[in-house]
Amino acid sequence: MSARLITAGGRKVGLVELGKGEPLLYLHGFADMHATRPGPFPFHETLAANRKLIAPAHPGCADSEEYPDLMTVEDAVFHYLDVFDALGLDKFDLVGHCVGGWIAAEIAVRHPERVKSLALIGAAGLFVPGALIGDVFMVAQPARGVEYADLRAMLFSSADHPLAQELFPDGRGGIDDEVRRYQMLRFGSFIGFKPPYFYHRALINRLHRINCPTLIITGEKDAMVPRAIANAYAGGIKGASLQVISGAGHAAHLEQPQAITDALSRLHR
Amino acid sequence: MTPAQLYCWHFMAYPHLPADFDEKYDTGWVTVPNHLWDAERSRGLYQEYIDQLAYADRLGFDGFVLNEHHQNIYGLAASPNIVAAALTQATKRGRIVVLGNLLPLHMNPMRVAEEYAMLDMMSGGRIVAGFAPGGGPETFNYDVPSARSREQFWESLDLIVRAWTEDGPFAHEGVHFPLRYVNPWPKPLQKPHPPVWVPGSRSPGTLIECAKRGYCYFLSSRSHGSATGRAKDQFTEIIEQHGKKYHPFRMGILLSVYVGENDNTARGECEEGVWYFLKNCLKGHLRTEGRQLTFGPGVPYIPTKAWRQYLETSKLGRKLLGDAENWEELESSNSIIVGGPDTVYERLRQLIDQTDVGNLLIQFHLGNMSDEISRGSMKRFAEQVAPRLREYSAKRFAERFPESEEEMAAAGVGA
Repeated sequence: MSARLITAGGRKVGLVELGKGEPLLYLHGFADMHATRPGPFPFHETLAANRKLIAPAHPGCADSEEYPDLMTVEDAVFHYLDVFDALGLDKFDLVGHCVGGWIAAEIAVRHPERVKSLALIGAAGLFVPGALIGDVFMVAQPARGVEYADLRAMLFSSADHPLAQELFPDGRGGIDDEVRRYQMLRFGSFIGFKPPYFYHRALINRLHRINCPTLIITGEKDAMVPRAIANAYAGGIKGASLQVISGAGHAAHLEQPQAITDALSRLHR
Repeated sequence: MTPAQLYCWHFMAYPHLPADFDEKYDTGWVTVPNHLWDAERSRGLYQEYIDQLAYADRLGFDGFVLNEHHQNIYGLAASPNIVAAALTQATKRGRIVVLGNLLPLHMNPMRVAEEYAMLDMMSGGRIVAGFAPGGGPETFNYDVPSARSREQFWESLDLIVRAWTEDGPFAHEGVHFPLRYVNPWPKPLQKPHPPVWVPGSRSPGTLIECAKRGYCYFLSSRSHGSATGRAKDQFTEIIEQHGKKYHPFRMGILLSVYVGENDNTARGECEEGVWYFLKNCLKGHLRTEGRQLTFGPGVPYIPTKAWRQYLETSKLGRKLLGDAENWEELESSNSIIVGGPDTVYERLRQLIDQTDVGNLLIQFHLGNMSDEISRGSMKRFAEQVAPRLREYSAKRFAERFPESEEEMAAAGVGA
């Protein structure tokens, strides 16, 4: 694993690189690397078994500089175009989780020619009537000043899941960890509220432009991004298949890495 | 010399909550279920509150303060300008301080410029124009992106003041509120424009922006210990960096006061209202129980660096005002001052000594306090506390800020 800083569009971007081979771009979510831990989880390690995994931190997250002009998900897409240029990335496999999945889908509808395959895990981004994406900001305000059980329950299959307890502990964790989580919420606030709640109404009508092999993955118990969103992605992208990870929550890739890396290895074959 | 300016602040709390509210509901804000709103029992409620402020005018208060909150039981003035409009007709002398319109919640800042200009004309130049970015709860009420709210706020405020002072039509080439034809009718009566007040809780960004523009900084903290004096020192230093001098009317503070007949009776008279206010109205805002929405990682409006500083310098589990479990704890927070006239005078005099703040914004009505109790406290304050405070503060300010009279007049005080 190597962690380094690059400059893209005049801004510093922190990224983690893992493994060797064809490039795979990974865009993170809330319960994920960069947002909770600086380094990769077992899921990312396995994903990098036969690929070179490149995982930039979103603007303002981890070591990446905040991008004051970032107002909408559109700005995030253009930010990543700058990152691709800086890395000399032309075509790549694209994997995204949660907000990272939303940005991945936005990239794929604009530049299908650059995306070899697309995998979305608990991806936000679509508006489906009656299926609002969970309000992560509300539950990030601790109950009784110290309890993050509601946040854990939104991001994992259960508030008591050991990994949930470790990554989103009650009380106050280490300052660096607290700051990392804050940075992710701040990034989420920049793009998540306007348009509101992590969706972009126009995206659903653009999904038909994606023409690469696509896998939509959702945790059976995802309490942040409703199943209807995963269904809409799968229904809107030609030839996409949907895999529901039984028993897993929103952070399905952290809870059941093997089930997902198995599915992804078939996609990346 | 201008004495301390004494304002009567009315939050307009919802007073008809069930007795078991605190047990059954985890917040008084944003998601507090509105089936609890009893329209029939609340008939005449706004009138009662407006009449209390009209009474404050007759008692000789220097002005009245209103503020804006949404979807909560703490303050029912969702549109404070509507209440201010009523006050332009119901009062004759005092300044009407709206503290403030929450700018990021308005689709177009010019609506605020127009309404304040109307209120200024309707009141004969008695408006103090307060502006605020909104706090945590408003993020959820109106889907204001926290991380953007500060820059939206300053763009709006600068546009409004420009619209009041520069002849239109002109084009505003803004980031958040681009407008081709800025040309408000009416313009305010006060020149160059109504005094501008901005609340803050000691964040350096707000202090600096207020200092630069010459605005009054209102410290929105409800507890007054050494931090209040520090805020004033911090602001003084920043003002001097911008080539100006601090004077008492560059700042305001919020206080809650109850003046009883004497020290022995005061507590008994106000206690029900005080606890209703602390346990119900502050739940979700300045109370740890339930889910506090005002500040925290879910409303990430302060920059990351400031968040790190906060973590480094703050202790988890610090008690908030609404966490007070008994009267003694409450007394020690120096936030709700209760006593007979002599005690209240003495405590406020000490506060002036500690802070040299000239604008005292005082909440008299607390929670479900009755009209009669509220008025009694206001009357005793106006007759037995205010005269002494005025005399004392005028003398103190004259000694300590002899050169500031002209500037104070320009800041819209002492008129």
